[in-house]
Amino acid sequence: MGIFADTRRYVAEAWQAWSRFWFAPKDPATLSLIRLLAGSLLFYTHLVWSLDLQAFLGPDGWLPVDYLRTIHTLPGDQQAQWSVWSLFFLIKPPWLLWCVHVFALLVFLCLMLGLFSRAMATLAFLLAVSYAHRVSPGAFFGLEKINCMLAMYLMLGPCGARYSLDSLRRLRRGITDPVRPSTSANVAIRLTQVHLCIIYLFSGLAKQMGENWQAGTAVWWALANSEYQSLDMTWIASWPKFGPVLVALLTHATLFWEMYYCCLVWNRFTRPLVLWMAVGVHVGIALCMGMITFGLAMLYANLAFINPTTVRRWVDPLAGWVAANFVAPIANK
Amino acid sequence: MAKKRQEQSSDEPPPLKTARKKKPTTQRAASDLPWHPFWRWIVSLIVVLHLTAVLSAPWDLATLDALPPGYAPPSDANGRPQPLPPPESVVWQDPVVTRGLHRFFHDYLNLLYLNHGYEFFAPDPAGTHVIDYQVTQADGNVAEGRLPSHDGQWPRLLYHRHMMLAEQTQLMGPQSGQQYANHLATVYGGPSKMQLKMHFLLPPHRVADNTPLDAPSTYQVIGTVAGHPRVSAHTSRNIPSSEAPVSIPGAQP
Repeated sequence: MGIFADTRRYVAEAWQAWSRFWFAPKDPATLSLIRLLAGSLLFYTHLVWSLDLQAFLGPDGWLPVDYLRTIHTLPGDQQAQWSVWSLFFLIKPPWLLWCVHVFALLVFLCLMLGLFSRAMATLAFLLAVSYAHRVSPGAFFGLEKINCMLAMYLMLGPCGARYSLDSLRRLRRGITDPVRPSTSANVAIRLTQVHLCIIYLFSGLAKQMGENWQAGTAVWWALANSEYQSLDMTWIASWPKFGPVLVALLTHATLFWEMYYCCLVWNRFTRPLVLWMAVGVHVGIALCMGMITFGLAMLYANLAFINPTTVRRWVDPLAGWVAANFVAPIANK
Repeated sequence: MAKKRQEQSSDEPPPLKTARKKKPTTQRAASDLPWHPFWRWIVSLIVVLHLTAVLSAPWDLATLDALPPGYAPPSDANGRPQPLPPPESVVWQDPVVTRGLHRFFHDYLNLLYLNHGYEFFAPDPAGTHVIDYQVTQADGNVAEGRLPSHDGQWPRLLYHRHMMLAEQTQLMGPQSGQQYANHLATVYGGPSKMQLKMHFLLPPHRVADNTPLDAPSTYQVIGTVAGHPRVSAHTSRNIPSSEAPVSIPGAQP
């Protein structure tokens, strides 16, 4: 009797905790902030393709579609995998390529501004995956992975509830109800959080296999790579005693942080430390190794762990100032 | 309110009798949530499947086939050890769960662009690949360049895309280099010649001795490719054998 009752109680409490974790309504402020920032990043990173659109995304270019599809074919198969899809596999004339590209940029811009946010988030995800598959392999790197992840989870929740033109449109229509907490906003944020934990865990596990990460020298080899280098940090080598220790500390701290991020980020006492470490690591990579867009993408994903109340405290005054000084004068004209 | 109830129950684990009294409270708290339990079950199932899929790709990529503990490769008549058994040999032990999960979710992962690992600068930061090219144009001028290069490849993201082009020849094999050479030949309108180089990294003592990171001795040519302008979009793959890559030492066909 006792064991059954205890088990039943355990299951009920576990279900309750699970339900609250995933389905408790949350203010969509965090999701809205991620939309604003991730939308701007999607817009910029895809705008850069315009500088050599035909070469990277055209039917020929560096890697012709016909050749790329042979790489997408599994051993023993005759045809490329159907599930590796992209609009750009179908587009032939340059004018159509440019039309789709301009349309995509408008979608990313609308997502950033928060105009028809939910629909734009869905389109942004489909378009981002289209670009990513066209350049994978070839010119892709971690940025595509994070861009697509952010766009995917944005479309699940009311990402335009705050800091958006959608919210101003609601006000103009006379809808002054406060933004209500949303279950789907919580689902979207939770998925981003758990996905981010998986990313850091496997990134850490992969590094753990490396001898230089174990030995504490990996950061040096990253800094000494002149193709990546955007800020010369090799002066560390001129400190024969202190330099190796600093490099080793940075290497071990990075590895430890990545491997245990998935545990420490859930505790409210260790979370600020973990998130500030994320800022340090990604800003460091952005400044020293020139991967600014990738660093920003990772930092925007980390915002999922910022409480909506905190987001509102930080962003609401700025959003109010922008609305009063830039949007209202235009709207009143 | 609900949070307070949760904190109370976690701070003071109650005896069974108290717990029984609290049971209606628990049910009430769960019913406060806006979605009907049926929909919560459905979404929970989708969430679990999705996260399992997200996990399965990097997990599978992080696992390797293993040889049995203490496995010693067979030796030939002279006692020299033979190479490791081929991948299809039954000696190798597959990680069945990770391979099975990855296979099950394969198309779902592809559709959502999730079919990848997250091995950033892993297992070790390594040297990079660069491509030097020369194209003899129709008027006899020679165009030269490098992938990646800070000359003209701006902003930084565009530079990085070109760096990835050079780097990912290692993922795709020698045919990718041929495609690059043909592209350059098409763009500049003349035969192209391309060298794939490995750029090795310098240890701290060499840098302390003022050896530049891009000293010529740090580059090693690992392949040379000749390219010709593409006739049309659909003939680029049918390159005559005489125009195939000149040599890529160590590269597999």
